[in-house]
Amino acid sequence: MTTPAASARGIFKHFGATQALDNVDFEMSHGEIHALVGENGAGKSTLVRILGGVHRPDQGEIAIEGRTCHFGSPHDAIAAGVATIPQELRLIPAFSVAENLTLSEPPVRRVAGVPLVDRARMRQQALAQLAELDFTPDPDQRVDRLSFAERQLVAIAKALRQRCRLLILDEPTAALETREIERLFAVLARMKNQGTAIVYVSHRLDEVVALADRCTVLRDGRVAAMRRRGEFRVSDLVQAMTGRAETDVVTDALSPGAVLLEDAVDRADAVRVRSREVVGLAGLLGSGTDRVLRRLFGVSHQHRPVSVNGKPQRLSHPTAAIRAGIGMVPGERRLGLVMSLPVRDNILLPSLDRLTRGGMIDRAAGDRLVAELMELLDIRPRNPSLRASALSGGNQQKVILAKWLARKVGVLLLDEPTQGVDVAAKAQIHTLIRKFAADGGGVLVSSSDLAELTRICDSIWTLHQGTITARISRVEGFDEKRLHAAIGG
Amino acid sequence: MTHWARRFDIAGQAPLITLMALCVVTTLLTDRFLSPLNLTNILVQSSIMAVIALGMTFVIIGGGFDLSVGSTVALAGCIAAMVMVKFGIAAGVLAGVATGAAVGLVNGLIIAKLGVNPFITTLGTMVLVRGLVFLVTGGAPVGDDGLPAAFIAFGSERFLGIHYLVWVPAILLVALSFVMHMTPYGRRIYATGGNREAAYLSGVPVDRIVASTYVWCGALAGVAGVMLAARLQSGQPTAGEFYELTAIAAVVLGGAALHGGEGTLYKTVIGVFIMIVLGNSLNLLNVDSYWQRVAVGAVIIAAAAADRLRSR
Repeated sequence: MTTPAASARGIFKHFGATQALDNVDFEMSHGEIHALVGENGAGKSTLVRILGGVHRPDQGEIAIEGRTCHFGSPHDAIAAGVATIPQELRLIPAFSVAENLTLSEPPVRRVAGVPLVDRARMRQQALAQLAELDFTPDPDQRVDRLSFAERQLVAIAKALRQRCRLLILDEPTAALETREIERLFAVLARMKNQGTAIVYVSHRLDEVVALADRCTVLRDGRVAAMRRRGEFRVSDLVQAMTGRAETDVVTDALSPGAVLLEDAVDRADAVRVRSREVVGLAGLLGSGTDRVLRRLFGVSHQHRPVSVNGKPQRLSHPTAAIRAGIGMVPGERRLGLVMSLPVRDNILLPSLDRLTRGGMIDRAAGDRLVAELMELLDIRPRNPSLRASALSGGNQQKVILAKWLARKVGVLLLDEPTQGVDVAAKAQIHTLIRKFAADGGGVLVSSSDLAELTRICDSIWTLHQGTITARISRVEGFDEKRLHAAIGG
Repeated sequence: MTHWARRFDIAGQAPLITLMALCVVTTLLTDRFLSPLNLTNILVQSSIMAVIALGMTFVIIGGGFDLSVGSTVALAGCIAAMVMVKFGIAAGVLAGVATGAAVGLVNGLIIAKLGVNPFITTLGTMVLVRGLVFLVTGGAPVGDDGLPAAFIAFGSERFLGIHYLVWVPAILLVALSFVMHMTPYGRRIYATGGNREAAYLSGVPVDRIVASTYVWCGALAGVAGVMLAARLQSGQPTAGEFYELTAIAAVVLGGAALHGGEGTLYKTVIGVFIMIVLGNSLNLLNVDSYWQRVAVGAVIIAAAAADRLRSR
């Protein structure tokens, strides 16, 4: 038997009360693309971070080329030949392509014994490395002038220059267009032929089926399935990821009521949300779905008129949006919570003005409201004095939702509402979203997870480069192919 | 029950424990520490610094920083003295406090609206305001002989056995703690300092909140300037030098986080006592004044380092 390029055996890892990884085995061979899939919160990122030296496992062993490794930092992992290409690329924006590529070991020439950076050789080395990927940019170009896809290739070239033997790609196609995805796949195929082991983390199961030699499915921190090429289809993966057959989710149909929020001027990304309706916004990273939500919440600089409950409004500030009965759950939890404050203060923050009697906060009324919401949303532990930072991701996300339920808003704008949330909390959040709509609210939700949108939405609107390309309702049926085509993926 | 237990956790009481340890050690080393005269001295010395540090706590909880308070103390004291000589006590006090608030408003607007770094902004106003003090006074003390007798009495006499000067921070502490903990405004300062972006997305007018913390800080530096003028019986253009550093050190010793969102007013007052008692005991023990500076600097760093270690 040949030695695997890298292996992880019996990995356990917990964060607070959450068991993120529970006895996980994962193996990568030379010249193999091994896909890692799972729902949000299944443990993919934790495993990737352990392989990349960011986290240390509680138990278990990582081996590279058969040798056991204990990574104390990402630096150790890179030295051992493990390179991670995260979604947020770690390049220095103001540096040139060549400078970024050679950052860890710049070519040096000595002048009178003083080491100086040899710019000519730096350029040559960078070009040679990029040529291996069939990519020829201007090496003196600043990387922040490149497109995301080009920056990604620079990051991969940088990893190759650091002699990486295991390349981990975390959702590499989330922001790419079809043409760019094809180029990336060509690069990966080339690297694979040169013997690099590649870990491919993705939500896009059709890509996984097309690309991967092996696929490991994680669910709730455990390996739910491990299949070889030809042994799996998209539907198998979905079943392994969710633990149930794909069709088994039923969303009660609602009959939408009056329009709650709509753009008052005609624009390419004009939206409309009615009462008793969940509208999904689907699009690639950078397609503008998050911009739509931020605009409607008064965050962006271009505050165009909207109409709320039929009344024309100009939402120039979140305060104005909140007063008009709109709440937003941002895509990153750090934007939704003040981690240093207790859960109670976080939940009440948007409602402080309503809880004030004679200049003072009515503590008793606030505590009652918080207790009620923590019960309703099943926020655990049930302790309102605990700092928000002490909660698990799923509970933090529920606290953010509770902020807007406390304020009794009519419209919820949700950006990736279940990112990094465990499966149980995800189901609870989905139920809450449906219930909010059933009680007369309107929801506009943006998600990179199409399966999530098809589960909770009454209609899905697709965005491509800031323009709405399709509006598909549940009645017509959510056809994955058509949705993919419309978002340009 | 558990609520109170949590409120009085040991780690959270580090400032108080430090202060008590300091007092015990000094008492053991010299019998002069516990004399009524010395204790009164400590209280009076702490009173002015406490008022400044309370304002600094507002700014630091709100996520900011203010280096200009020392200069503001001098400007407010001199303006108060000049106005008082001509228009009486009330007008003088008002002018002093308003001067401080105006400096704070300038800081606040530049920092919150223009987004200039607080360190640089207040470094600038620190130098600028000190320049103004000398321009206004010509470099000489103001009102040495013309200050109203009642004002001078305020700087030296007692009410119910306690100096008037000490009553000021005591009353301010109670009133401002109420503002911080019971009003929406106070909670919004904590939220803004803890996570400005999240507070903004929760409908908090963060720019106004941040600007307002500097106005508080400036106004309280103005109050301190008036108190100092009463104590020195004149407006001194060189007064208040390095006060900003002592005030910031006191806030940090009181356990507030320099990155904002955390801190308690009464603990800041304990931090002030630590700074003043430390200086007082080093004096009583006849420690060379150069060495005193070395010791005070080391204590500040040690307190900050202990805080880092605890939060790991």
